[in-house]
Amino acid sequence: MYLYQIRDVDHFYGDKQVLSIEDLAIPSASITGLIGPNGSGKSTLLKLLGFLEEPTYGSILFQGRKAAPFSKVVRSRVTLLIQEPYLMRRSVFDNVAYGLKIRGDNREIRSRVSKVLEQVGLEPENFARRKWTALSGGEAQRVALAARLILKPNVLLLDEPTASVDAHSARLIRKASLKAREEWGTTLVVATHDWQWLYETCDSILHLLQGRLFKRGLGCAVYGPWRIGQNGLLQKELEDGQVLIAPKPEEGKLMAVLDPSRVDITLPGMGLQQGNCKTLNGFVTRLFLERNSATVQTAIKVAELVITIRMARNKVEALRLCPGKEVSVSYDPQEMEWF
Amino acid sequence: MDFIQEGFTQAVTLLINRDPATYSAINATLRASGMAMAASLVLGVPLGYLLGYFDFRLKKQLRIIVDTLLSLPTVFIGLVIYALLTRNGPFGDMGLIFSIPGIAIGQTILALPIVIALTATAVEAADSNLRITLMSLGSNRRQIAACTLWEVRLGILAAAVTATGRVLTEVGISLMVGGNIKWHTRTITTAIALETSKGEFGMGIALGLVLLLIALTVNISLAGLRRRS
Repeated sequence: MYLYQIRDVDHFYGDKQVLSIEDLAIPSASITGLIGPNGSGKSTLLKLLGFLEEPTYGSILFQGRKAAPFSKVVRSRVTLLIQEPYLMRRSVFDNVAYGLKIRGDNREIRSRVSKVLEQVGLEPENFARRKWTALSGGEAQRVALAARLILKPNVLLLDEPTASVDAHSARLIRKASLKAREEWGTTLVVATHDWQWLYETCDSILHLLQGRLFKRGLGCAVYGPWRIGQNGLLQKELEDGQVLIAPKPEEGKLMAVLDPSRVDITLPGMGLQQGNCKTLNGFVTRLFLERNSATVQTAIKVAELVITIRMARNKVEALRLCPGKEVSVSYDPQEMEWF
Repeated sequence: MDFIQEGFTQAVTLLINRDPATYSAINATLRASGMAMAASLVLGVPLGYLLGYFDFRLKKQLRIIVDTLLSLPTVFIGLVIYALLTRNGPFGDMGLIFSIPGIAIGQTILALPIVIALTATAVEAADSNLRITLMSLGSNRRQIAACTLWEVRLGILAAAVTATGRVLTEVGISLMVGGNIKWHTRTITTAIALETSKGEFGMGIALGLVLLLIALTVNISLAGLRRRS
């Protein structure tokens, strides 16, 4: 059974649409990664999943039932850790114990706080009495995580939890979050730029761009200005003078997206141009082996664009790809999508 | 200038000798301002929270009205309260005219906009992540309100300090609603006004210094609270 089911959700801030999701289901006890550039809607989606905001249109089902902010069914089960943690003006102990106290659950509160502080790598005897001001950024983030873990949540939503912390804290945060899934079957949804976390631990990865989901991979957004070229196709001149071609959009659509699952990578001069395919030249910037798979995430920079493609490992080996290597990217202009 | 030095000496003498008239005025001042502050905090803090926390239609207009009321002249409040509480007024039967509770009502009206405006400002200035954090930890609306007010307690303390200063030192309301009746409704400020009108500058300065001493004591206590939080 799915823990979350989202159908036709559209969310607006004022007149601006920030999220549009037709269909999304998240299974129980899974780890879902959210990836996308800043402003792509990751934080908004997490707020909706955390029932901190209600979608402007559409509904979110939690365990098959419609839920809303402050409803009892989610209040004690779903919790969100934001990127910049807010610690209340009280001691570490009181911050961690807050969630239990407001539930009136004071059983063995000291030992439970100590245990959860240890879980995030903070020695209780050194940290429990500290003031909120006497913590580093990484320690504060771990205290904030401890305040959520002590609740043994059904769902732990993490919004870039390791973005502004040191490597040691990031490792501890990852470890403690994963342990929550192992011990209590907590469902994790993580928005992060931490590729290692995403591809080593996530059961599924959702790519967000301009508030839309790309389940197949991270679409590469291309913005104007465009000019009309041959055959009524549009042309976008990239920073290095190369030209990207796209079909004419329907009215009101402003952003073209190059679907990485529909491009092909070859070495310069080796590729045969097929049909209507066009070629762009770029170079590899990053390679990352996905967890338990023979797939390699390959990021290719073409002028100002970064195209992230999932490639078979044997193909990467055959092309002898490595960061800095020049490659050709073939694409069919007719397959460019407009949003 | 001798009367200033004389005032200092007289202030010390009045306090050390436990001058009954002076202590009566101190008592009236503390009772009236204590009641006014209690009422204005009980009413003003929740109203300030509502004004600062929620977005609603006409919020800006309401905020402008509250900010305007910060400049309410004390004599005007005194006049209105006098008109309401006087024997022939709509609330004359309550017998509050020329009484300490009557003064306290006027002083509450003086302090209330200060407490509301400064509490609202403190709540508005609270970190936007506070609400998300509290909701994420499972707080209901009442718990969010309580915790938000606790988080902005220094701002509320500042509101209390400012309002206390205004209430302790006002003279218009105490004079008009209290009537400056010796042993009964004579506060320190009305006593200063009276002594000055009689040409007893030294006595006026002595009472002024006593008032400053009270303000100092109140602020030291509040500073202690601030340090503890």
